[in-house]
Order: sequence, then structure tokens, then C-alpha cells
Amino acid sequence: MSESETSRDKWGIAHVHASFNNTLITVTDLTGAETIVKSSGGAVVKQNRDEASPYAAMQMAESVAEEIKAAGIEGLHVRVRGPGGNDIKSPGPGAQATIRALARAGLEIGRIEDVTPIPHDGTRAPKNRRL
Amino acid sequence: MSTVALTGTPGTGKTTVSELVADRLEIEVVHLNDAIREAALVSERDVDRDSLIADLDAVEAWLDDYRAGESGDLGTDERDRDLLVESHLAHLLDVDRVVVLRCHPETLKPRLRARGESEASVAENAESEALDGILATAVDRHGEASVWEVDTTDRTPEAVADDVAAAIEGRIDPRVGVVDFIEYL
Ligand SMILES: Nc1ncnc2c1ncn2[C@@H]1O[C@H](COP(=O)(O)OP(=O)(O)O)[C@@H](O)[C@H]1O
Ligand SMILES: [Mg+2]
Repeated sequence: MSESETSRDKWGIAHVHASFNNTLITVTDLTGAETIVKSSGGAVVKQNRDEASPYAAMQMAESVAEEIKAAGIEGLHVRVRGPGGNDIKSPGPGAQATIRALARAGLEIGRIEDVTPIPHDGTRAPKNRRL
Repeated sequence: MSTVALTGTPGTGKTTVSELVADRLEIEVVHLNDAIREAALVSERDVDRDSLIADLDAVEAWLDDYRAGESGDLGTDERDRDLLVESHLAHLLDVDRVVVLRCHPETLKPRLRARGESEASVAENAESEALDGILATAVDRHGEASVWEVDTTDRTPEAVADDVAAAIEGRIDPRVGVVDFIEYL
């Protein structure tokens, strides 16, 4: 196995789902096919509206980080799905806190992509409309 | 005249419920998606999604004209009637209050399939609903004090219309955060 293939094995993808009410992190291998860790805000804090809080997201990210490091992962590309994308104010406040906590836990952070789904039928809103 | 947005992910029942609300209240319904298509209030086409990208400034201007036209044509009583703008884009406009219809993604999917949406479109809308996409944007834009979230899952359109009418008439307080569909993801 070449050196680049060896190091590829040490990378995963963190799918960060930051909703209004909750935050969910799923870490998969680079193909997205194999789930290594799955954790939702509900696993950390039980009170509903607190589940999306940056604090809950941070706690969750810390325990996720320990699990994936134990599984041999050293770096993560991040795919964020959260209403409002990267400059969210109130909604989905867990996204940024999650990424910061993963980095603080010693994981290398690679590409960060916003893959927030767009509600649509025959029409849709323009992307990134400034509110 | 006060303008209420009735929004929600496609398939949550906005068009159906808006007609029922119009039967209950003295309110005029604007089916905004029809207007966007008919008046070509669009900027470009999203080829991947087979969807027209609305020009929201043009939509806002169209709505202003519509309101102005209404008050010119109608008598005083009718001029004071509220406007109910139904569309998954309605919360992006300058409205006074927002009602957001919610529906569990697993309930939403067969409805979207039944009206011929592609599997990619069904999946993306279901994911957006699971992430509270429209609710979050509505709260971001209008504040929690102007948003009424109504869960429609396993409820009849009539029951939903009762809630929407109560919200419009101010008989129930604004409320958000009533559902959590994240387990769908
Ligand atoms: N509360 C409900 N229960 C069951 N089916 C519903 C309900 N509301 C709407 N529907 C059905 O779901 C489909 C989508 O409704 P529609 O009003 O067109 O949604 P929207 O305008 O939000 O896209 C229609 O077939 C409609 O009959
Ligand atoms: Mg409709």
C-alpha cells in the first residue's frame, strides 16, 4: 500500500446536521458508505430546545472526536447541512461549535462544504439571499 | 391590510389549507407560485433541480402592485381584508406574520412522489424538512414573536386550517420548536 493510501484511511467525513432544534453528527469513511460514529444532540442534553445549543453540540462533538480517534481517524472533511449556511444567527447554532470542538480535540479539519438542501418544486429561492 | 405568509416545505399542504382558511375567514389568498410562473418573476433556471429561481425583488414588487391594485378596486371593507400569501417562498417576503406548516419527512415523501416529483427532489425536500430549513429561515428573518409553527403530521387539512385561522386571528400565541425530525436523517 502506498503512503498516500495509508493516510487516506486516516481521514473521514463528518456530516454535521444542524437543525433548529437539534444537532446530529455522522462520521463516515471517505466514500460515505460506511458509518463510523453517529451521535445526536439528544444523546447529550434531554431538554428539547437545548439540543441545538452550541454547548450541547460541543459536548457531543467532543465525545464523537474520542470515538473516531479510537477508530484510527486523524482528519475530517466536513459537510454541513444547516439552514442559513455558514452565517447562521439563531438557527442551527450547533454547526460552528461542532467544527471548533472537533478541531480542538486534535482532529485535522480538511475541506468544509455547505451542502444544505434547498426546498423546491417548480420554483426555488435564490441561494444565499442576504436576510 | 396585514399580510400573512403561509409557508412550508413543498407538500406540507399550503395550497390545500389556504383554500380552507379562505372559507373560514374574510381573507384573500394569493397562490404565489402561480404568480411567479405566470408573471415570470424569475431570474434563471436551476437545471439540476429542474426548478425556476425566483427573483425575490421582482416578487416583492409584484406583491406591492397587487396590494395597491386591490385597495384601489375594492370598497373600504374589503380593503381592510388580510392577505394570505401561500408559497414555500412566502416567508422570504416583507410580511407581517408567518405560519409555517410542518410534516414528518416520511409522510411528506409519498405526497411529493404522487405529484410526480423526481426521487432527487423528493429526497432533498424531505431532508430540508428534517432540518427545519424553512422554519429556521423564517425565524431568522422575522423573529420568534412573528412565527407560528403548525405540525400537520397525521392531522386532517381541516384541523390544520383551524390552527392557521387561529394564528391569523391572534387567538393563539406565536410558537416555534414544536417538532424535531432530526432522527429521520
Ligand atoms: N393534512 C393533510 N393530510 C393528508 N394529505 C394532505 C394534507 N394536506 C395536504 N395533503 C395532500 O398533500 C398533497 C400536497 O398538498 P398541497 O396543498 O398541494 O401542498 P403544498 O401546497 O404545500 O405543496 C396534496 O395531494 C394534498 O391533498
Ligand atoms: Mg402548493
